[in-house]
Amino acid sequence: MSAVVEVRGLSKNYRTVTAVDEVSFTVEENTIYGLLGRNGAGKTTLMQLLTGQEFASSGEIRVFGESPVENAGVLERTSFIKESQKYPDDFQPKHVFASAPWFFPDWDAGFAERLIADFRVPLKRRIKKLSRGQLSSIGVIVGLASRAPLTFFDEPYLGLDAVARQIFYDRLLEDYAEHPRTVILSTHLIDEVSNLLEHVLVIDEGRIIVDQAAEELRGSATTIVGTRAGVDSFVAGREVLHRDQIGGLASVTVGRLDPLERQEAAELGLELSPVSLQQLIVQKTNVPAKEFEVKS
Amino acid sequence: MTAVQTSTAAARPAAGSGSRVIPVVRLHFVNRFSMLVLPWIILGFIFLVNLAIWWIVMSAVSPDADRADVQEGLQWSGASFYIFVYMMVLGVQAIALTFPFALGFSATRRDFWLGTSLTFVLLSAIYAAGMTVLALIEVATGGWGLGGRMFTALYFGGDATPWFARFFLFFATFLFFFFVGALAAVIYQRWRVNGMLIFFGALTVALVGGVALITFSESWPAVGAWFVETGASGVVAWSLVPTGLAALVGYAILRRTTPKNT
Repeated sequence: MSAVVEVRGLSKNYRTVTAVDEVSFTVEENTIYGLLGRNGAGKTTLMQLLTGQEFASSGEIRVFGESPVENAGVLERTSFIKESQKYPDDFQPKHVFASAPWFFPDWDAGFAERLIADFRVPLKRRIKKLSRGQLSSIGVIVGLASRAPLTFFDEPYLGLDAVARQIFYDRLLEDYAEHPRTVILSTHLIDEVSNLLEHVLVIDEGRIIVDQAAEELRGSATTIVGTRAGVDSFVAGREVLHRDQIGGLASVTVGRLDPLERQEAAELGLELSPVSLQQLIVQKTNVPAKEFEVKS
Repeated sequence: MTAVQTSTAAARPAAGSGSRVIPVVRLHFVNRFSMLVLPWIILGFIFLVNLAIWWIVMSAVSPDADRADVQEGLQWSGASFYIFVYMMVLGVQAIALTFPFALGFSATRRDFWLGTSLTFVLLSAIYAAGMTVLALIEVATGGWGLGGRMFTALYFGGDATPWFARFFLFFATFLFFFFVGALAAVIYQRWRVNGMLIFFGALTVALVGGVALITFSESWPAVGAWFVETGASGVVAWSLVPTGLAALVGYAILRRTTPKNT
């Protein structure tokens, strides 16, 4: 595997906020990444920095080994689909699909046509008059059919219904299997995409707080449910990620358990359940920054 | 991952040259109707309305002396100004809407600006050619048979200008409107409302300052003489200076601009 994106000590400061704060990470070739985090965590800014749309305050970005800023050779291999994409006033979807092949050398017109049918995008209606979901479909189709070696999807499916979202996941996986590429997907619907992701980056207040293989992350926490006394004795001395209790019952989330510990828990009559990616990220990003730093 | 493997990813050649100048030009023209057809339709309508007015006026005025007076007045016609304003709007939209879109299609700012400038030159040439032909017809038909003036108004060189001078006049004027519109839109794209306030504030101060300077130095007659001496073609030739400046300054500002999506 080789690195498609390398970021070292990257920061982006605006007048009053630090959107991206001393971030360092690497993105491997032909992998699907999830860039997760709360609103305003810095996801969009980070993607804009990686595609040369925004300018770094400090630090270094290497995409395909070079700086992406004003670099036609790098950008040609990049596709950046964002939820807030603007279109020229008088454009119809057919104009978008007609001009996309001029910009993306790997554009697949047949695939685009199939996607247009799948998403039922009206080709000859002014874009201004499309619904939010139809607008998102246009972005999703461009992102998939452009087959760029490095594809960014920033909240690609605002307003898309469940059927359309499923089509997006299916087509992405199918096409990814045939034409491997690097995909960086930011989304709020973490559980929906959790099976799709191979690697997870979690950004919170401008900093990367999780940079882990999805498989590893999924097993990295367990919730223990049982009587308060039983749970308390079991988790004593462990780092508790999250805790809920009602009356005599308690539900506590802790880190990874080995088989021996699982057996011990079972013997104590405690129930174990895996923590979904979404719950895990909610818990990690809910912690005030300072408290989190102490823990990690 | 090792350093060696990283360098193989870096060494992978780009799929193409990467330059998107021509794609940007094609992108501007992708909706041919609003770029090449609609402006002529509107201009045609304005022309028909003017034709009707000339006909009404000429029918109502009988003595030849009065008709000559009317024709004298018509050489100040502003009927075709609309098309220049329309081109300025196209210049603004090229930045406000096509710029964020083109960057969304992974174009560089450099390629966008070069492609957009080329588009402005092409559009100016196309529209200047059309206007020149209309001016020639206007002269040949004695003002569409009614002594009307729309394409040979005085600031376009009157009716005795050779065709190439007319073409140049229209061409340079279109370019001026395109690039000034684009510059204003670039300033807005970069600094939003504050940029606009400062831009128009500075422009107003400069204009008033210029007027004050000319007035206090009592040089209005000299200014008037310059315009008469330079003639329409000369004045338009001088307009290439602010046009070129707008193009250069526009690029300098755009190079550090992040497309706004809101």
